[in-house]
Amino acid sequence: MVTDEIWSSCLAHLEKELPAQQFNTWIRPLRAEPAADDQSAWRVVAPNRFVLQWVRERYLSRLEELAASLTGTPVTLALALAPTTPNRATPPAPATAPPRAPTRSSHGEPAYERTRLNAAFTFDTLVTGRANELARAAAVQVSENPGTSYNPLFVYGGVGLGKTHLMHALGNAIHARNSQLTLRYVHAEDYYADVVRAYQQKSFDAFKRYYRSLDLLLIDDIQFFHNKTRTQEEFFHAFNALTEAKKQIVITCDTYPKDIEGLEDRLISRFDWGLTVQIEPPETEMRVAILKKKAATDQIHLDDDVAFLIAKNLRSNVRELEGALKKVVAFARFHSRPINLELAKEALKDLLGAHSRQLTLELIQKTVADYYKIKVADMYSKKRSRAVARPRQVAMWLARELTPISYPAIGEAFGGRDHTTVVHACRTIADLRLKDPTLNHDLHLLTQVMRG
Amino acid sequence: MRQLTLDVRAEPEPSLDNFVVGANAQVLERLRALACDPASAALYLWGPQHGGRSHLLRSTVAAARAAGQEAMYLEAAAVGTELPLAPGGLLAIDDVDVLGEAGQVALFRAFNDMAGARIRLLASGPCAPRHLALREDLRTRLGAALVFELHPLGEEDAARSMERHAAARGLRLAPEIVPYLLRRGRRDLPFLMAALDALDELSLTRQRPITLAMARELFDSQPDREATPKRSCPPAALDPKPPSDPDIP
Repeated sequence: MVTDEIWSSCLAHLEKELPAQQFNTWIRPLRAEPAADDQSAWRVVAPNRFVLQWVRERYLSRLEELAASLTGTPVTLALALAPTTPNRATPPAPATAPPRAPTRSSHGEPAYERTRLNAAFTFDTLVTGRANELARAAAVQVSENPGTSYNPLFVYGGVGLGKTHLMHALGNAIHARNSQLTLRYVHAEDYYADVVRAYQQKSFDAFKRYYRSLDLLLIDDIQFFHNKTRTQEEFFHAFNALTEAKKQIVITCDTYPKDIEGLEDRLISRFDWGLTVQIEPPETEMRVAILKKKAATDQIHLDDDVAFLIAKNLRSNVRELEGALKKVVAFARFHSRPINLELAKEALKDLLGAHSRQLTLELIQKTVADYYKIKVADMYSKKRSRAVARPRQVAMWLARELTPISYPAIGEAFGGRDHTTVVHACRTIADLRLKDPTLNHDLHLLTQVMRG
Repeated sequence: MRQLTLDVRAEPEPSLDNFVVGANAQVLERLRALACDPASAALYLWGPQHGGRSHLLRSTVAAARAAGQEAMYLEAAAVGTELPLAPGGLLAIDDVDVLGEAGQVALFRAFNDMAGARIRLLASGPCAPRHLALREDLRTRLGAALVFELHPLGEEDAARSMERHAAARGLRLAPEIVPYLLRRGRRDLPFLMAALDALDELSLTRQRPITLAMARELFDSQPDREATPKRSCPPAALDPKPPSDPDIP
């Protein structure tokens, strides 16, 4: 029967086995109590569903082993949620562990559950331009004749260019034609996790059966197989079995097959069996078209000048481009203002982050010294000539404006001056800038430079 | 004379209500919505240290829980090779810039599963996504989230919140005290609040009201005037060694 002592011993064992942070996050919050009707069963109470699910997937069997070895008899652990807080509406989770699938924990819609396809990614929602038209045409063709046109279809290109979108679109198109086919989208990292799980649970047969039963396997970011030899071997056999059975495989990667690092040659050579197509970064016109299409889908009016502004600032990938549009729309909604150029510029500040570096007093001193063509040493020297003293005051003012550093600390950094000297400098500059347009211009420019 | 130290007492639980808003009203509104609306979404907050990022992440998680939803706050250093994804839940990851290699992959996978699992992600870091030194596939996902910069408090807001903090503790401050603290100390809230607490302590010990002389004494007794006081939640430390990611032999 469970006792506090045995539970504490279990925890002590696990504490030795796990990194401290993982132990503190997942194991320490658990409470154990005897099950009401069964002496060989414990009820382990988790504070929330996150912990419950995590413990169930990762630590439950280990806890059971430890408990059994400490009590000398088999012990069943039943996980339960802590009693709900007064305003919590969700019912407690079932207390028993479900059978484990060869894949990650399950959730969501049944169709998604089976295929892991995102219904929002279709050929219709994919903007086509010079950068991706070949890849799209190939994907459409494969979706019309899976397993017989190009096998595998290998799509490569940089991060955030729409490889995953294209892959889901292909899968959705096949699913729409024939919902009886067994399709599966899997990220290479999840495939690897499945291999690890199959290894730990000695369930390789089920793993192999599952992946070889597919009609279409979409595997994303194959570069994640880098140096994972067992995963590569499993995939090699799955690949052979599927292609022999004329089942379609689609692969994406961030680089051309021959350039993939840490991948076996026998796999790379197989990637060349079908068709290899590239997705390139979109040119400005295409970025604008993507933004306009996205806006239209969300029923938002987006003028060309605003679309160009966003497209000009986010060049490298489509993902962040769409993030920028989201930001502009949210900003306009919050301030109840129409989307125009001025608003978009303001909204994008958060995203582009002018403050790219940590401003230090040294950086401020150097920048100001360079600007006024004086020596950095003059910033902390005792010299009091106007040519040196004014830039020094400007630097002090900037330090106060742009950092949270205190007056005394600023004084210290400027040759051990008293904080009242810094207060005086800041007041002087604040007064002078109102009367002196040149100084005001200098301050404006220096502030801009400092902020990046 | 006894050495005086700046120290903080038990802080009230961070909540969205006790966050000093300043120029961050839009962020706050979004976080309230994120806490209550189970629709899948991703938010990224960035700003300087001591600017309230952790406060906002923790309090959004608390607000979600109060609304009856699953929610969890994790410091980046506590992230292992996978993240827990409770369906419909909210997951907050603080200081993404210190995520180890395995942690980055875990967050990347969480982003990939976001729509299907209907989860909400709330992340924070010290700079805008384009300047984060993370894997490009993760960095761009953070960049595709709704991004907010947390703006530091201006002196007026800082002064007001100090006055409120003092009033809440029943402290009577002479009008020159707050301007003095703003002049002499770092202008970030954790520092200023700790300075107030230290003054409170001193005034209780001596059974005398807080005076400017007392504030001067406090600062003069600090060998390092820039030192930031202890925080109620320590900054996340780097995971000493990220979990290795070996393949099976």
